[in-house]
Amino acid sequence: MVPTNYFVILSAILFTVGVIGVLTRRNALVVFMSVELMLNSANLALVAFAQARQSLTGQILVFFVITVAAAEVAVGLALLVAIFRSRRTLDVDEVSTLRG
Amino acid sequence: MSNLTWIILLIPAFPLLGFLVNTFFIRDERTAGRVASGAVILAFVMALLSIAVLQAQPEPAEGGRRIDYILWEWISVGSFRVPFGFLFDHLTAVMALLVTGVGAIIHVYSIGYMHGDVRQVRFFAYLNLFIFSMLMLIMGDNMLLLFLGWEGVGLCSFLLIGHYFDRRSVQPGINPSGAAVKAFVVNRVGDVGMLLAMAAIFSRLGSLSFYNQDPMLDGRIVPGFLAHVNDIAFAQLDLGAFGTIGIATAICLLILLGVTGKSAQVPLFVWLPDAMAGPTPVSALIHAATMVTSGVYLIARVQPLFQASPTAAGWVVTIGVLTALLAALAAVAQFDIKRVLAYSTISQLGYMIVAVGMGAVSAGMFHLLTHGIFKALLFLAAGSVIHGAHDHQDMRRMGGLRTKMPTTYWTYLVGALALAGIFPFAGFWSKDEIISYAWFNGGRPVGAILLIFASMITAFYMGRQIALIFFGQQRDTTYTPHESGQIITVPLIILAVGAVIGGLINFPGLHWLSDFLHPVFATPGAPPVDETYTLGQGILAVVTTLLAAASGYAGWYLYTHGAVARRVRIGQPDPLYRYNGDIWTGAEIGWGFDWFYDHAIVRPYRTASRFLSDVYDRQGIDGTLVDGTGRLMGRAAESLRGAQTGFIRNYVLIFLVGVVLMVGYFALS
Repeated sequence: MVPTNYFVILSAILFTVGVIGVLTRRNALVVFMSVELMLNSANLALVAFAQARQSLTGQILVFFVITVAAAEVAVGLALLVAIFRSRRTLDVDEVSTLRG
Repeated sequence: MSNLTWIILLIPAFPLLGFLVNTFFIRDERTAGRVASGAVILAFVMALLSIAVLQAQPEPAEGGRRIDYILWEWISVGSFRVPFGFLFDHLTAVMALLVTGVGAIIHVYSIGYMHGDVRQVRFFAYLNLFIFSMLMLIMGDNMLLLFLGWEGVGLCSFLLIGHYFDRRSVQPGINPSGAAVKAFVVNRVGDVGMLLAMAAIFSRLGSLSFYNQDPMLDGRIVPGFLAHVNDIAFAQLDLGAFGTIGIATAICLLILLGVTGKSAQVPLFVWLPDAMAGPTPVSALIHAATMVTSGVYLIARVQPLFQASPTAAGWVVTIGVLTALLAALAAVAQFDIKRVLAYSTISQLGYMIVAVGMGAVSAGMFHLLTHGIFKALLFLAAGSVIHGAHDHQDMRRMGGLRTKMPTTYWTYLVGALALAGIFPFAGFWSKDEIISYAWFNGGRPVGAILLIFASMITAFYMGRQIALIFFGQQRDTTYTPHESGQIITVPLIILAVGAVIGGLINFPGLHWLSDFLHPVFATPGAPPVDETYTLGQGILAVVTTLLAAASGYAGWYLYTHGAVARRVRIGQPDPLYRYNGDIWTGAEIGWGFDWFYDHAIVRPYRTASRFLSDVYDRQGIDGTLVDGTGRLMGRAAESLRGAQTGFIRNYVLIFLVGVVLMVGYFALS
């Protein structure tokens, strides 16, 4: 059986990769995918802990996260399409109208 | 209290109804005049009926029949209780008859005089409101209700002086809205005295009601303050460095301040000559017959207070004599037909003030009545002259109108003779009574001599006015004078009859008015009026009327015959100017009171206002406080807005760093 801390370390690596992706990439679609990666790394940690503690709560929570993520993808992609239609670009640095 | 006393409520009710109907329903000009006149005539009838009811009341033990009809409790704060009640006693009856009687005649006259005016409906509504306020003033059974009427007539005066508010200037060069504001503001000065007097009366005497009142709804009795005046007769008020002053004296002097404002006495008379900017019926009703006499009425009403303070009574007499003299002199130098009458009114009010100041209340009320009649007559006749002379008011542009306007001439002459105090017209009896009281009973021979002198000047300027208007040749031939219609001349004739026989109401030997007013002022159980006439009084009366007749004739002769008359020219100064130039100028401008107020009060006030508006407000309040706060916020925002870059990753980074710091903190602690 694989020790729990391996899963947790993998989850942390995935989360960090997601954060770096969000922070460094300029394409909105890639940023979006990085966010998904962070969500899934959290899911991985939840499932790992659930298995380690022999409790179903963590696994149930993962289903919720997946559902919410699906909804978020729907909204997020719609936003991306709308931005692309009005701006003809998906570069997040170009979309900085809210600068003070 | 027997039945039918509610009838006194109808006296003010009709004018109020007329005001409301004219304000809210009537748009037609003819109807407005009829409704307003009808309301006042009904009020006059009600006043007559009320007198009948008053005489039918049982005589109370302490003497003095009066009807006191309390409608409701107006104010009740602790011991401060003010009923909303109407009082009707003999003094009120006399005033009510004058106000509604002369008022009704002037209303009818106004229908003719104001014909063609664009704001007739409003004019008649205000006239009715004035009558209502005036009745409130004389029927209020306490100082506060009296003050409500006092302010009401002031408001109507303001509104009616400013009737021609859309004109920049009316003859003789007065700005109507400015004159209205001036009248209002000058009266405010007097009202300060009234308010302080009321506060003092309440704090020292515990009530604002004049007389003891029937139990109110909760059964408690509101005491009257006039019966308790003796409690404070010798009380002193410590003024610190200024010594002490008697309480009664202080109250009386404060009331006197209010009276000088409302009744146009020295030093607050300056608003009345300018008030002639209003239409002529307004001058007749408000600024001659009724409103300006309310000060006289007030002193008569609170007579016990003035009797408790000989000092204050002396001041009242001094002010009255001074006013009578100064205003009479000022009237000589006027060329505007209405301004002569305005100064004459001020002068005659001085006589009344002298009378009530000396305690000769019935003499004062007598002169108030006769003056109300003949001065209203003079003003209305002057209005007829102005009408016939095509809106010219400058007497230099008139002359020779006697043949063109016979009715107006004869009625004007009657009014002038009555005003001048010529035997046997009304003014002779009333003025002689005041002078004779001052000489023999009041112990003020100097005052009496000054009053005789003033009455000589009165006769002189009336002679001059008659000569300038009606005699000689018409100096301005650009218009054709014509007699006025019947709706104007009939009221003149009625008033002229009153001015001839008005002396009868207090004729020596009959003294009806004195008997009538006796119960109001007499102490309980006093004998009826005891009037005996000495030879001295007879001689004084003859001498006075002869002097007046002589100077009246002199005034008439000077301006109709000889060199002086020929030098009266349009736009030129008076021929007498070359003999006494500076004095003449002083008289013409009303002895410089206006100049003094202008320099001492109006201009400093304007300068201070300009400083406050331009410097303090614009730079201080607006510049520093309001704009300064805005600028401060702007600067602060300027320095903070750099943090908001619009790049999502910046926000995420900050968010991340925050999370790391928080988690690190919780993990390490």
